[in-house]
Amino acid sequence: MPLEDHARIVSELTSRGYNAEREAVTQLAATDQPAAVLEFLLEDLPADALVVRSAHVESARSALETDAAAANPDPAAPDSAAQTDSTPSVSTGTTQPTASGSGAETPVETEGSQPIERSVDHDLRDLEIAGDMTGQSTGTGEYSDFVTVFRDRLERLGSKLRGRINHRPATAIQSMPGGSEVAMVGLVNDVRSTASGHWLVELEDATGTFPWLVMKDREYADLVNELLCDEALAMEGTLSDDAGIAFVDSMYFPDVPRTHEPSTADRHVQAALISDVHVGSDEFMADAWNDFADWLHTEQAKHVEYLLLAGDMVEGVGVYPDQDDELEIIDIYEQYEAFNERLKQVPGDLDIVMIPGNHDAVRLAEPQPGFDERLRGIMSAHDPQIVSNPSTVTLEGVSVLMYHGVSLDEVIAELPEEKANYDEPHKAMYQLLKKRHVAPQFGGHTRLAPEEKDYLVIDEVPDIFHTGHVHKLGFGKYHNVLAINSGCWQSQTDFQKSVNIDPDAGFAPIVDLDTLDVTVQKFS
Amino acid sequence: MREEDEQYFEGLESQLEDAFDVAEEAKERGGDPKPEVEIPTARDMADRVENILGIDGVAERVRELEGEMSREEAALELAKDFAEGRVGDYETKAGKVEGAVRTAVALLTEGVVAAPIEGIDKVEILTNDDGSEFVNVYYAGPIRSAGGTAQALSVLVADYTRALVGMGQYNARDEEVERYAEEIGLYDKETGLQYTPKDKETKFIAKHMPIMLDGEATGDEEVSGFRDLERVDTNSARGGMCLVMAEGIALKAPKIQRYTRNLDEIDWPWLQDLIDGNYADNEGEGEENDDTAADDEDGDGDESGEADDASDDSAGPPRVEESQKFLRDLIAGRPVFSHPCAKGGFRLRYGRARNHGFATAGVHPAAMHLVDDFLATGTQIKTERPGKAAGVVPVDSIEGPTVKLANGDVRRIDDPEDALEIRNGVEKILDLGEYLVNYGEFVENNHPLAPASYTYEWWVQDLEAAGADTQALEDDPRIDLEFPDAEEALEWALEYDAPLHPEYTYLWHDISVEAFCTLAAAVSHGRVETDSDGDAGDGTLVLEYTEAVRDSLETIVIEHRQRPDEDRLEIDEWRPLAHTVGCDPRQAVTDGAALEPDGRSEEPTIDLERTWSDEDLSEHARTWGHEKDGDNAMEAVNEVAPFRVRERAPTRVGNRMGRPEKSESRDLSPAVHTLFPIGEAGGTQRNVADAAKHAETMQDTPGIVEIQVGRQRCPNPSCNAEETFKNRCPDCGERTKPDYRCPDCEQTLEPDDAGRVECGHCEVEGTCVENREVDINEEFRDALESVGERENAFEILKGVKGLSSATKIPEPIEKGILRAKHDVSSFKDGTVRYDMTDLPVTSVRASELDVDVGQLQALGYEEDIHGEPLTHEDQLVELKVQDVVLSDGAAEHMLQTADFIDDLLEQYYGLEPFYELEDRTELVGELVFGMAPHTSAATVGRVIGFTSAAVGYAHPYFHAAKRRNCDGDEDCVMLLMDGLLNFSKSFLPDQRGGKMDAPLVMSSRIDPAEIDDEAHNMDIVSQYPREFYLASREQADPESVDIQIGEDTLGTDDEYTGFSHTHDTTDIAMGPDLSAYKTLGSMMDKMDAQLELSRKLEAVDETDVAERVIEYHFLPDLIGNLRAFSRQETRCLDCGEKFRRMPLTGDCRECGGRVNLTVHQGSVNKYMQTAIQVAEEYDCRPYTKQRLEVLEGALESVFENDKNKQSGIEDFM
Repeated sequence: MPLEDHARIVSELTSRGYNAEREAVTQLAATDQPAAVLEFLLEDLPADALVVRSAHVESARSALETDAAAANPDPAAPDSAAQTDSTPSVSTGTTQPTASGSGAETPVETEGSQPIERSVDHDLRDLEIAGDMTGQSTGTGEYSDFVTVFRDRLERLGSKLRGRINHRPATAIQSMPGGSEVAMVGLVNDVRSTASGHWLVELEDATGTFPWLVMKDREYADLVNELLCDEALAMEGTLSDDAGIAFVDSMYFPDVPRTHEPSTADRHVQAALISDVHVGSDEFMADAWNDFADWLHTEQAKHVEYLLLAGDMVEGVGVYPDQDDELEIIDIYEQYEAFNERLKQVPGDLDIVMIPGNHDAVRLAEPQPGFDERLRGIMSAHDPQIVSNPSTVTLEGVSVLMYHGVSLDEVIAELPEEKANYDEPHKAMYQLLKKRHVAPQFGGHTRLAPEEKDYLVIDEVPDIFHTGHVHKLGFGKYHNVLAINSGCWQSQTDFQKSVNIDPDAGFAPIVDLDTLDVTVQKFS
Repeated sequence: MREEDEQYFEGLESQLEDAFDVAEEAKERGGDPKPEVEIPTARDMADRVENILGIDGVAERVRELEGEMSREEAALELAKDFAEGRVGDYETKAGKVEGAVRTAVALLTEGVVAAPIEGIDKVEILTNDDGSEFVNVYYAGPIRSAGGTAQALSVLVADYTRALVGMGQYNARDEEVERYAEEIGLYDKETGLQYTPKDKETKFIAKHMPIMLDGEATGDEEVSGFRDLERVDTNSARGGMCLVMAEGIALKAPKIQRYTRNLDEIDWPWLQDLIDGNYADNEGEGEENDDTAADDEDGDGDESGEADDASDDSAGPPRVEESQKFLRDLIAGRPVFSHPCAKGGFRLRYGRARNHGFATAGVHPAAMHLVDDFLATGTQIKTERPGKAAGVVPVDSIEGPTVKLANGDVRRIDDPEDALEIRNGVEKILDLGEYLVNYGEFVENNHPLAPASYTYEWWVQDLEAAGADTQALEDDPRIDLEFPDAEEALEWALEYDAPLHPEYTYLWHDISVEAFCTLAAAVSHGRVETDSDGDAGDGTLVLEYTEAVRDSLETIVIEHRQRPDEDRLEIDEWRPLAHTVGCDPRQAVTDGAALEPDGRSEEPTIDLERTWSDEDLSEHARTWGHEKDGDNAMEAVNEVAPFRVRERAPTRVGNRMGRPEKSESRDLSPAVHTLFPIGEAGGTQRNVADAAKHAETMQDTPGIVEIQVGRQRCPNPSCNAEETFKNRCPDCGERTKPDYRCPDCEQTLEPDDAGRVECGHCEVEGTCVENREVDINEEFRDALESVGERENAFEILKGVKGLSSATKIPEPIEKGILRAKHDVSSFKDGTVRYDMTDLPVTSVRASELDVDVGQLQALGYEEDIHGEPLTHEDQLVELKVQDVVLSDGAAEHMLQTADFIDDLLEQYYGLEPFYELEDRTELVGELVFGMAPHTSAATVGRVIGFTSAAVGYAHPYFHAAKRRNCDGDEDCVMLLMDGLLNFSKSFLPDQRGGKMDAPLVMSSRIDPAEIDDEAHNMDIVSQYPREFYLASREQADPESVDIQIGEDTLGTDDEYTGFSHTHDTTDIAMGPDLSAYKTLGSMMDKMDAQLELSRKLEAVDETDVAERVIEYHFLPDLIGNLRAFSRQETRCLDCGEKFRRMPLTGDCRECGGRVNLTVHQGSVNKYMQTAIQVAEEYDCRPYTKQRLEVLEGALESVFENDKNKQSGIEDFM
């Protein structure tokens, strides 16, 4: 009953929010198991696809077949060059060009090991994306959009705090008698010191604001230094006699629970976490990158099955004045093409996820959607997953929050040296985890594009928090969450020289997903 | 001083005194804040210094010291007086240091700028870690106006006084040293410094500085390291401190050293290391000028003194370095006139026109019209050299531009009328004509002389040097030496062996040797056609039309006609050209002529015989060039021409438009008629009449408004009047006094001698400011009645929202009513002002000033510049130093102000009117104040006439007395009586910079020794010597040439007179009256015109202009606004309250009103489409296009809903 089949397929597709080409439907109906192919197809449709095309059907069908073949691996027929074409299971039908890699065959001198043929069992892999807002940007830059974002922030972060205290809305507190015990959940609206050296923190919730005084000799006084505007906070205290102000007795951050137990992978598998490649810059370290790519082909790296890139694939255009003087590749599209060539050098059987950064050709305001169609078309090597900044990717159960890290500059500038500095970028990341928001402060360095919700809130505690941007390598654990700021692949620029920043260039932190241990590979 | 000068000044002063008497009488009667005139007169600098500082006894001491020593030494001597208590009444050590430092700065800035009072906030005593005391000087932003030397010396004086009063040195902590270094870097990035010391240098200075430099935060950006220091109050950059350290100490170290050496009390040995650069590793001083070295060789190798034409083979022609700097920050709508050193651009000519010098550039008025009116008198241009910017003045005694018309004619346009006539037919502006710069500019900017154009002034001296009796030639009425005909020019060149006359010297250096040979060949193949009439002299040379020859003719800038359809290029004035390219005209008789027996049509034809072949050229001539070998045909010309030919225009000056000229009244925004506060009751218009009817609710009495005013009380014991805010008691008419009270204990306080009011019990400052309910309606009606005006006498009377002064004394509404009646508005200090761009002029004609000879004679002008009696309107007279020329707009505005003053005197003060002017010619002879922004001293000027140019012409010394030069600066004039009657210090804002731009003192006469010394560098001769022109070709140091400048006559009898000029101009207001920038409407119109012009100008690369407009204007605008959008503040539409972030309630927290964004989509992407279009149309680089593309994507991503994309029309088809 072909007609019935067609109708069923179309209704199935529309119920999931897709449109379909007529040919695609015909093709689907013509397969042996339309249901299975359909399921497979829907799973693998690009996130931004709205219409199912025949190409999609074709690729899904062939992938399904390959998959079936892969399920019965034939050891007698190894791929002659594993890195050139391993046909990952998630292929959308674009065949990968072979790696150009002149350096791909040469051994890594530091390691001395030979390139190996990686044997990879794709069935064991598992990669899920959450929080990707690419194609979901619905804000139109209205005042109400901004209000919505901040309300959403208070709502979601507030829910993590409300259980801990007996909170009241600001307006209710305003009408309470002096001396009452009060508590409130709100966003920090203002922090200033009083003439006598105490701190006045203004909290704002959906009803209004209320001032909280932190006495300079109380234990919480030190925490005031860590506060950023617009982070969510709960405070408990006592109203003054005239009920105009409350004295803080305790302060709560949304924070990561100390009891947090990270998930781990069930097998020994590794992920390489890098960022800030800056292809196109005069200072791009091609040799280090080549060594890195070569190393990935070695025995040592055989467990590395995932590659995460936290932004700044290319140096970009117009990022700072007279940038063209420092560009090796001036054309932005050629920069991405060159980056794609670099990407081709790494083994084809890696699962790759990348988010944009502030040098990339997307909007600078956060959240930044993943690249547009044209750039995706260019960066096709190994069929990477391109998602928004920030996004959470879960690798075999281990969730990794990827965020490029522009807000780190601000955290480092605003907070005391020992809490956040460029030499220990992971400490600044701890602060973000504690605030459960990747870029709390509005109005400073970080730019905000208002969307229907606050994508920058860290709703679920990740197992790994991965950032870049500051070109410094640093990692450590905060309440069992592994924070990694990857270094970069760009040697010191004139600008960095002028402000005395010595970047950590040419490092690749490798995480064991089964233990969350980190090893750092050096390539420079 | 000469007798006549003395008379002139005495005349001014007695006129001033008369006005003063009237004003004093009026003030005694009125209800002004003070019963006397508040602008003291200063006859000299010492007076001004004392008046500005308000420290008694300074003037006397300054006068004593002035004769004996330099001003700098006097400052140090005064420091001693302060330390020992001889001058000033200070008890504390800090007070003594403060007094000494302020006095030093005042002295060094001649008591004109506000730096001594506004730039030094305070001096305080702090303790070092070892317990010793040291001095901390707090600088503020306005110290900038003091300039580097005064800034640096203020530090020295502080240290000297510190030593004298016996205090220790400052020992900087390490973190403070580091902080200085970071902060100066930050300030340089944010605001920019003229000189930025390297970090090591800063740290070195900070470590050794014997006093602490501190200051107020001036910016928003904060340092990232070394924050929250104990002895530094702020984490932002302290602008004043940065200036003093970088542009003061670091830059002027050698100057300070001169004085430290002579002082025993203090020792700054580290200055030597600073000067030597010993604070760090030596950074090779590789700045030796290679050009100069090369040129010196040239000079040595040539003993005959004809340095230019016989240079070494190795060296090319002398050329200046290209500089791109002036093109930076190009703005949409302000066109580029010439790229750096570009062919076809302005040609440098040396000389000073009478309306010229002191940071100006002379441009031919025809050129002003031809650049589509973008240049007008007074328009500022950013220029390649010698300075950074200049004000444009019209000079028609220089060569005009050459254009190619649509009909193929190539014409030089020397008449502005012609320019207007042919303007629509201009296809290309091949050459912009000459650009007059005076010698003094090069001295002032310390710029090596640039090779001079070959011009008449030089040629005449060449001719004389060659042995001709130029005097006889000049006297011969049949000969025009400046513009001779071709025959004469050729004859002189051959007879005297002098170089060819510049009129017939073409720009051979701009074509290549190859092109020259081609041209010569073309000329030799050309034929000379005589007119059918037969009497038109030489006939026309007709060349075959080829692209190469046409290009050459256009490049050497010779007038000709292009007729491509007829395959002809026609040159009328062909003889000098033919000779120069080495072609001998031979008279020949056509073969056919012999056959005609009657001989009637016997046509003598002229053959042009080329006397040389390409091979004859020497290697030297063939390879002569600047950028590459053989790109300059000059040497080839000199080998083949029968006479010498000099380089016609070796130096071209690139420039672009800066600020447009200005001539408009200074209005606050919104304009204010009276400094009377009405709060929000007057609406956004601040309408007093509205406020008088305003009632918050139905229950309130209309007109009752709560405002902040100063509380006054009647001192008359018998009067029981209540507190008032008026300066006269409403009951008894007695003058009231401010009623100070302690804000804590409410006790009534009296100010102490220093004017400070402090409550002895509570130790807080007392105040007289209170919130008070005032019946605006009553005040308004009473005022109307008291001056006898009705409400319909004016359209609207605007007040202010609140007062910003310390005591908040309101102005009597009566004054506002009369201002409104005469449609003039008040500045923040109560005066009525008119702004004009400054331009210099040293000699004027009655005819151009719209006055008659009689009026000039009445003002003391008796002789013209040649010493002949002044009898007719066209004679040039030398301008007296304090006489000013008003623009038409200013005259009109002054007339209105005079009417206002007359009404004020009559209707408010009850006196006789003072001016009674019927029309503007009666303004001539009246006194005005000239006053520049950032200064605190007004200079008295006298109106001498009017100009249609939108500028204020005055003597350069007058501008310099106000501390202005003429590179596009603007300042204001006020009518004398307005300043005397209406100015009050009590109106000045109580904030940093509030005292700037207010006439705290006036100078009644200008002493040339006490003005900005920039003006002393203006040359005052009528001719530059031949040596100067020769030296310019060697790019010599300007100081090495002897030309008299203003400095040379200082202190002599001639210091006020003898300002000669080398070039005259028909009228000081020629060319367009207003720049097209001001007449064109929208920014888009301006930009279209700018790009259109760039296509027409030979010297401009339109793609580069488009790139720069996008790069420096559109992109920063787009990027900046997009950035601002994503981190913006919000504002309440109802009450104006601002919020750093959107309130979570969505509504205003103050009033519950509607809150909205401050940066909207519309303001972010207004230039997006235009920028993309321009990039396309002018073929910009892909890099630029891609930046726009990326931005467009970003805008879309932020402002468009992915799920609801705007659909095009095709979606509906």
